Amino acid sequence: MKDNVDISVDFAGVKLANPVFTASGTSGYADELADFVDINLLGGFITKSITLKPRKGNAPPRIVETDAGMLNAIGLANIGLDKFIKEKLPILERMTTAVFVNVAGETIDEYVAVVERLATERVIAGFELNISCPNVAKGGISFGTEPGQVSEITSAVKKAVGEKILIVKLTPTVTDISVIANAAVEAGADALSMVNTFTAMVIDIETRKPVLANRTGGLSGPAIKPIAAYLVNKVYNEVAKKNRIPILGGGGIRTASDAIEFIIAGASAVAVGTANFIEPDCTTKIIEGIKKYCVRKETNIKELIGSLGK
Amino acid sequence: MMVCSENKDVFSAVVRSNKKIGQRFYRLGLEFSGDCAEPFGKARPGQFAELDLCGTALPRGEAIPEDLCDMAERNILLRRPFSFCDVTVKGDKTVVDILYDVVGPATLRMTTLSAGDSISIIGPLGNGFAMPSGKETALLVAGGMGAGPLLHLAKVLTADYPNIKVVAFAGAKTATTLPFEKRLDEVSEVLGFPLAEFAGYGIESLVATDDGSAGYKGFVTDCLLEWLGRCGLAAKDMIIYSCGPEKMLAKVAEIAQEKNIDCQISMERMMACGIGICQSCAVECKVAGSNETVYKLCCKDGPVFNSNEIVFSN
Repeated sequence: MKDNVDISVDFAGVKLANPVFTASGTSGYADELADFVDINLLGGFITKSITLKPRKGNAPPRIVETDAGMLNAIGLANIGLDKFIKEKLPILERMTTAVFVNVAGETIDEYVAVVERLATERVIAGFELNISCPNVAKGGISFGTEPGQVSEITSAVKKAVGEKILIVKLTPTVTDISVIANAAVEAGADALSMVNTFTAMVIDIETRKPVLANRTGGLSGPAIKPIAAYLVNKVYNEVAKKNRIPILGGGGIRTASDAIEFIIAGASAVAVGTANFIEPDCTTKIIEGIKKYCVRKETNIKELIGSLGK
Repeated sequence: MMVCSENKDVFSAVVRSNKKIGQRFYRLGLEFSGDCAEPFGKARPGQFAELDLCGTALPRGEAIPEDLCDMAERNILLRRPFSFCDVTVKGDKTVVDILYDVVGPATLRMTTLSAGDSISIIGPLGNGFAMPSGKETALLVAGGMGAGPLLHLAKVLTADYPNIKVVAFAGAKTATTLPFEKRLDEVSEVLGFPLAEFAGYGIESLVATDDGSAGYKGFVTDCLLEWLGRCGLAAKDMIIYSCGPEKMLAKVAEIAQEKNIDCQISMERMMACGIGICQSCAVECKVAGSNETVYKLCCKDGPVFNSNEIVFSN
């Protein structure tokens, strides 16, 4: 019975076998992680960020470990749209899981150009708009911290996605995330993804310099989980629920109970990030754990979403 | 979950031994049983594995060196990458030895592993050293802990390439920081003394210490340079394999380029995943026929690179 328990979810019209995604940038283009986990068991897969042109990325050191977390400043290193279409899309076409492409750029036109090229690809269920990367000089987080900019980029990309769904990924490094979420929803976002990493710094006390070559990086991992869960609940209550917009929630999820916390907080689906680096097959354990919870509590995902008590 | 395949995967290993072999150096022996023995039995010198040490306890307070007390308080989250100093297949079991230096919260925890403990390990990962086809002499140049993968290479070279002469160079700050268990102190040579680990494979070895407390007084790269000056061998017949601190590797690369000797080096980077996903372990590399550079991944494209490919940072 446990095996056939239904934990499927409807995510902005896309039917997912379960609510568990791998987060962008923590599962490559699928081929790398496929050595360790059956990608098709996931509810959804999100590629690492794709930009119009290839990006070299930041100088090393690009990561540093912190207590219960890590900082990264990769700088959106990626193979670029052309190579993605030629080399990675054929791999993704063999997937039965819902595939989302994370899109980044320095200008709105770049975002639109990437989405236009990919909007007719059958395998792609939708796009995740990265307006929250803290580690690039141009674009990235600068699009995601001001409501007017969020609105402008969201509506421009929405026109290019065609039938596909548009998820807007939010940065938590703002005064009021609900204002940003509202701007994205009003401009046509079909779903919200939250949260991206928190801008942070680690200092080497011997050299009195930041450890990362980029000086700052994005904090991820278990350290951010309670903050992320709070922000998901806030946006669910203030924006998502009344607009019937699903949230892809995440931040430091390692276990099934972590994932369930986010669903109770208001997420329709969850994204697992840093934990993939430590246990590449952790998502399958999380999926099984959610099923067991649903059986034990005689509940289902739909009933769980946003069920946080007073 | 333990997965068995011929390729890299998440495996479970059992600790066989964890021996202190010097001031801060340990040698960890891990055993792989059954079908899981095969992937590690085929591990090549220079490859590595990611160990999960999060669940491993810290040593007792008094067992923590004073200079590490502060950082010992930190929790760890990510796996740690280690190369192998020996791989032995015994029937249906494979034993993998890892040489490590106690430098931080993860390696401090590692010292408390004891026989019978189980540990999660992802590997074997990355590309190892390419074998020396068409060469007559292989020079292994180790700096400190860099001796690990070169010991593994020494074993494979002497077993599979008996016609190739192998000479090992091992450098350290001082005699007590040479990461070797046994030294044949009684056999004295003009330069240094042979190391039992290399001697066991029938390999001549030269030691260099910065303070001259063992062997040649000076950097191992100067020791190498002097040896090259008097060896009388043709550059095209030699190959250098090196692993150690990046400054030393830069010098080795410079010597190899000046002398026109083929050279492979094993690089080290902070890694979050080790499997090509996180893009953390960037190594700046030259692009042939261009002034451009690209970032390759230490975990997936390396950790072994041709030395002429690398752009060393100062």
